[in-house]
Amino acid sequence: MSAEAPRADDHHLAKTDETAMFERLSRSNLVTTWKWYLGVGVAGAVLLWGLIVFLYMAMVGMGVTGYNKPVFWGLYEASLVFWIGLSHSGTLISAILRLTHATWRAPVLRGAEAMTAFTLMVGGLIPIVHLGRNWRVYYALPYPSSRELWPNMRSPLMWDAMAITTYLIGSLTFLYVGMIPDLALLRDKSAGGRRKFYSALSLGFRGTHAQWRRYHVASTLFAILIIPIAVSVHSIVSWDFAMAKVPGWHSTIFAPYFVVGAIFSGIAGVVIVMAILRKAFRLESVLTPLHFDNLGKLLCTMTLLWGYFYFTEFLTVWYNRNPEEWEVFSSYAGPYLPLFLTMIVCNFVIPFPMLCLKRVRRSISLILVPAISIVIGMYAERLLIVIPSLARRNDPFIWANYFPTWVEFSVMAGAAAMFVLLYMLFAKFFPIMAISDIKERLFHTADRTIGGTTVESIAQVEGEEEAHA
Amino acid sequence: MSTVIVGLFDGVETAARAGRALKGLSLPAGSVTTLSAVPLPDGAVVTDPTPIRFPRIVIAGWFVGAAAGLGLTLATYMLYPLVTGGKTIVSVPPTLIITYEVAMLGALLGTLFGSGREMGLLRFPPKVIHDPRIHDGKIALCARVEGDEQARRTIEAMREAGGTEVRAEEGEL
Repeated sequence: MSAEAPRADDHHLAKTDETAMFERLSRSNLVTTWKWYLGVGVAGAVLLWGLIVFLYMAMVGMGVTGYNKPVFWGLYEASLVFWIGLSHSGTLISAILRLTHATWRAPVLRGAEAMTAFTLMVGGLIPIVHLGRNWRVYYALPYPSSRELWPNMRSPLMWDAMAITTYLIGSLTFLYVGMIPDLALLRDKSAGGRRKFYSALSLGFRGTHAQWRRYHVASTLFAILIIPIAVSVHSIVSWDFAMAKVPGWHSTIFAPYFVVGAIFSGIAGVVIVMAILRKAFRLESVLTPLHFDNLGKLLCTMTLLWGYFYFTEFLTVWYNRNPEEWEVFSSYAGPYLPLFLTMIVCNFVIPFPMLCLKRVRRSISLILVPAISIVIGMYAERLLIVIPSLARRNDPFIWANYFPTWVEFSVMAGAAAMFVLLYMLFAKFFPIMAISDIKERLFHTADRTIGGTTVESIAQVEGEEEAHA
Repeated sequence: MSTVIVGLFDGVETAARAGRALKGLSLPAGSVTTLSAVPLPDGAVVTDPTPIRFPRIVIAGWFVGAAAGLGLTLATYMLYPLVTGGKTIVSVPPTLIITYEVAMLGALLGTLFGSGREMGLLRFPPKVIHDPRIHDGKIALCARVEGDEQARRTIEAMREAGGTEVRAEEGEL
């Protein structure tokens, strides 16, 4: 075997037309099509409708929703868990890929991080929507008020508020700091008002050697910090339920089960977002089948893990036959059978066999089937967690079913539209591809001849931060 | 403001050659740097002599956050001593959770402000040395010089190493 070492200037970036690459990767910023305006218009209209309905609900009262004794948590809470869950994988995947120096990470990072930020914004608003007297939301803030009312720190909902706030700030910071070199690039490539806009946002970053070194250490530290925060957030969301003595909720496995479910739905969300970005901004040469293949493998693993957790949770209840808990599980075969079947089919029966096939993972249109299926299945799972436990609560005399009214559907459609709108505006005004990371990867990549074949060789520059710190 | 010699190079190899040549001119530590669109490994062209200190701010941020979280929780218990579910007024598990979250927030903010400060972000001097052509694959090697003789020798060294455009500028490095 003969190996020919690449020279320093043989790297792929030197062979790339960087101007053409910039135009290709910044297409979302440079070209505005009628489809973008249409998308913004539709999302804006749905959001407006959701806002109007929310105001109507605020004025008339929560009686216009389907909430009634004993079900006072319904579609809103299921959606809260769903959106917070979706937020999980963006930053988490990005942080793990950064820490492990995964060479394929660059095109996935920004879109995934943005997804986290916007799903968290949407998710974080839902508790306020559900509040009832929404204008009194400031009562939850810990400050010495004349009412002498302080938040109860022993309430899991307060833990939730703290955790979501920390995660939102962390995710926004992670997204923003990662974007600074690309904002500097846009600053240098633009003129007029856009230049001023990007100049302000890039904070004077120029790409000096000292700045790059510190930027790398900061990115690593953010990644290290954000992973335990991400895990804690969904653990705490699960404790909103698990701390209550409600059958079906009061379970020690809830925290890891929620974390796994969140990562599961989050990766599916990332796959969907990546496929849309690829198609909308013609990023076929950047977001390659390899990226979807790798995400598909992760998704396949998470399918198994989710199935394992769900079975474990079910098994203990099935064996124990505690009547209160068993009634909840029995209702899955009754009024909640459609939801239960949707969950099992969409979370396991469809995705697992499909994701085992390389042909599916490497086909963008085919991998969308399990990804969309998982998002639907996980929404059904969230509904199944929240509603049956309340509808079949301890006292059979108060049992009642719950079905959302047009009010909840409208407000939640508005929430989904808000996510779409935020994402579209972000893609328009900010670099949706991590251009600097992509360039860095090309800079570290060179062709190397081994025997009769030429392979990509990627230099890993590790440990230099520690050596100089 | 000081005089800075800026040399543009087509690739890392030529820039590294110039970097080695500048070492022979005995310029003060920290007065030579690169401007590039991608991070270059330390020592590839220039070496950063300044240690990275902001992780200490991250650790300090964590402790400040932890103290803030602990203080907030304890103060809340004391100011509004409401018995909930038979639990003690000062309950340890919720205190740990809030303390942890605020501590992590403190560490995140410490990373943000510490790294921003050390990177020199949000400082906008009247004239900084910059060349947008770094985004077209060029590497700019910049050296702060004192006196005409040092400037002349630096320009010569950069040109000999293969600098495609070498110029003197007034500004902050």
